[in-house]
Amino acid sequence: MDSLLAFFTVFTQPNLLLLVGIGTFAGVYIGAIPGLSVTMAVSILISFTFSWDVYPAISLMIGIYMGGVYGGARTAILLNIPGAPSAIATAMDGYPLAQRGEAGTAIGITTVMSFFGGFIGIAVLAVAAPFVSDFALKFQPRDYMLLAVLGILLVGSLSTGSLAKGIFAGAFGIAVGTVGMDPLTFTERFTFDIPLMRSGISFIAVMIGMFGVSEALLQLHHIGLPAIRQKITRIVPSWGTLRKHLPLSLQTSAIGVMIGALPGTGGDIAALMAYDHAKRVTKNPERPFGKGAIEGLVAPETANNAAVGGAFIPMMTLGIPGDAVTAIMIGALFIHGLNPGPMLMIDKPDMFWFIVGALVMANFFMLLFGLTGIRLFVKIVEMPRAVLIPLILLLSIVGAYAVNNSITDVYWMLGFGFFGYFMRHYGYPLGPVILGVILSRLLDDNWRRAIISEREDLGRFSWGILSSPLSLTLFVAVVLIFVSQTPVWSRAKSVLGRRQGQ
Amino acid sequence: MKKFIIGAVSALVMATSAASAADYPSKEIQGIIQWGAGGSTDTVMRSVTPHAEKALGGTVVMQNMTGGVGAIALNYVAGQAADGYTLLMGAENPLLYKVMGLGDKDYSDFIPVSILARGTPILVANKDAPFDDYAGMMAYIKEHPGELRLGATGPGGLPSVITAMMNTVEGKLDVIAVPYDGDGPALTALQGGAIDVMPAVLGASIEGIRAGNMKPLAIFDVAANEKLPDVPTITSFNDKYNEMLPWGPFFGVFVANGTPDDVVAKLASAYAEGAKNPEFVALMDNRGFTMMGVSGQEAQDFLSKWQQNTTWLLQDAGLTKASPEKFGIARPAK
Repeated sequence: MDSLLAFFTVFTQPNLLLLVGIGTFAGVYIGAIPGLSVTMAVSILISFTFSWDVYPAISLMIGIYMGGVYGGARTAILLNIPGAPSAIATAMDGYPLAQRGEAGTAIGITTVMSFFGGFIGIAVLAVAAPFVSDFALKFQPRDYMLLAVLGILLVGSLSTGSLAKGIFAGAFGIAVGTVGMDPLTFTERFTFDIPLMRSGISFIAVMIGMFGVSEALLQLHHIGLPAIRQKITRIVPSWGTLRKHLPLSLQTSAIGVMIGALPGTGGDIAALMAYDHAKRVTKNPERPFGKGAIEGLVAPETANNAAVGGAFIPMMTLGIPGDAVTAIMIGALFIHGLNPGPMLMIDKPDMFWFIVGALVMANFFMLLFGLTGIRLFVKIVEMPRAVLIPLILLLSIVGAYAVNNSITDVYWMLGFGFFGYFMRHYGYPLGPVILGVILSRLLDDNWRRAIISEREDLGRFSWGILSSPLSLTLFVAVVLIFVSQTPVWSRAKSVLGRRQGQ
Repeated sequence: MKKFIIGAVSALVMATSAASAADYPSKEIQGIIQWGAGGSTDTVMRSVTPHAEKALGGTVVMQNMTGGVGAIALNYVAGQAADGYTLLMGAENPLLYKVMGLGDKDYSDFIPVSILARGTPILVANKDAPFDDYAGMMAYIKEHPGELRLGATGPGGLPSVITAMMNTVEGKLDVIAVPYDGDGPALTALQGGAIDVMPAVLGASIEGIRAGNMKPLAIFDVAANEKLPDVPTITSFNDKYNEMLPWGPFFGVFVANGTPDDVVAKLASAYAEGAKNPEFVALMDNRGFTMMGVSGQEAQDFLSKWQQNTTWLLQDAGLTKASPEKFGIARPAK
């Protein structure tokens, strides 16, 4: 009964409701601008809301979080520049749709699917948080390593055209991710004794450069062409469309919740894995992936919003952050005199239900703000290129600077932008580069942790994988996915298919 | 965006007006936090600063600047004008930069405004570990050499110092040190069974201990901690630890050398006032930190003693890249 009351706190107090709404609205726009991240916004809010009560402070933060994760899709669809790392996969099919003049439809689908994914994430948080967090704790370094390997196999899905070029791009990304001071031993890697290389290359700067600047440079080729007229006929997707994608969105939401709940992986990896999953299970998309497949929007957007609820699971049950934003929220709870940890759910169950309630509300606000104002937003793509290109460059520079308030990041961003432009020209896909940078640390750190904990004995390490059901499952998945991408497999499949056909 | 605008505006202001100490603070003060948002240093600084602001009658805009184990932030503040408008909000790590080869600057380039508090290290184990205290762990290591997995956070981190102490007192321990990015991820791994034992700061593990998700083996202090009165002190197992304790990580606010004395005094009294705030004291107490609130010569002495003890401990354990002697850090007198 008390928990029910706590759940409805947000709905009954107009000021909290207003704060969640303001937060969500701000979040959508902060998320849409590359470089302005939710993490940053929430950490500024800690000082800003210092003297407030804990409920209003958390309401505002939750709104920003929910809105921000969704907002990243906006610029991904309209400009091919993901506003946040979790929207990288969304750009792959969203931008082609905008190029066909269907940006309105794309945003509509993304919004509704984000709402759906967000809801699944919250539902799992409310119903099964203790179980999920127990399961998430079971992940050992070797399991994280296998997860990273699984992620690297996505290179195949993210590469359009030559697989060899995709693999090169992925390997390049992994190398970029290792630059700087090695976090485990503090040894310098690929720094060439240059001080500014020590802190590594900001992954956000790479992303903004690769997508933003290279896009602007590419657009210069078509500067004379008229902008694409957008037809805004159907924004809210039809019931039939939703029902058709229901099975897929349930699966990708599940992926999102789980990856989000794992400490150390977040919405970005969840979205990419979901995209890959969609590509695997969708037999006959209406349009091929990479050319504007609806499934290519459904999967990443359900997953990254489901990951929000997922990230709260270890935070609320164990005091362990599920991602960077929840890490800051744990700090905020401390400052407001609470002790986030395993006892929080027992000592202060109201806090848990209040957060669940606030998330539900933020999810509704996201739907509302997502579906309104699309017409205005879509105008961005209809702008003449002579205005649009400088705007993209301006956004990219401000965004790259804002990440760490560092001018060095702007140089990295511009450098990677030029490099990305030439990569595109020669048919190298950019998705795998970002994938490599994201997964570099996960793979590298956990491989070393796993082998060090087995006294650097490969035999013991392999036995560890075979004897743990979780590791074995992941290992089998890695092998199967790898084999399914080899020519041997496709030949075997075609032979089998012919036999069945007879 | 807000931070960006504030940064731009304060840069402009800084360029146009030279500060005079009498009307300090006449503009916004920038507070550079050495560690990421949500970490211990961040939490402590963001909770004490608003109270200090009131006493100071000015605004401190805090910003996290991470990277290079905090060296990026330290070098940044050292490079700004020494006028008291840029504060470094840091932890103990810079005192080890020189011997660890992480940089050529440390707190000797700064004036301590306030050393706010220190943490107490504690040895915690997975709840299913086959031993219940420090003595049991030592017996287990002897019986199963090379089996126990001990969490670490890289050279110079708290676990490395505690491990060095244990090696000094007990002789080289045959254990596996598994490195993590920080005590948060390592304690998560401890609860999942990826590591068996972790030397951590009390505040980071106290909630896990209360919930029974991990078990305390020994407190690394000379006296029992009132937060966990039942946990034995390490000195009760082996009194050789008395020579090295009390030891612990700390948090402090610093300004660059050359900052006018009256500005330092104003800041010091503001932070001393802020640190007395009951809300802040309660927060620190909850997290198991010991309040210090020292400044001036007392703080300088604390820093140099801390540096002497720790660098030589690490040097003797063979963990340093350069000898403390090279930087004029004298071996502590026995």
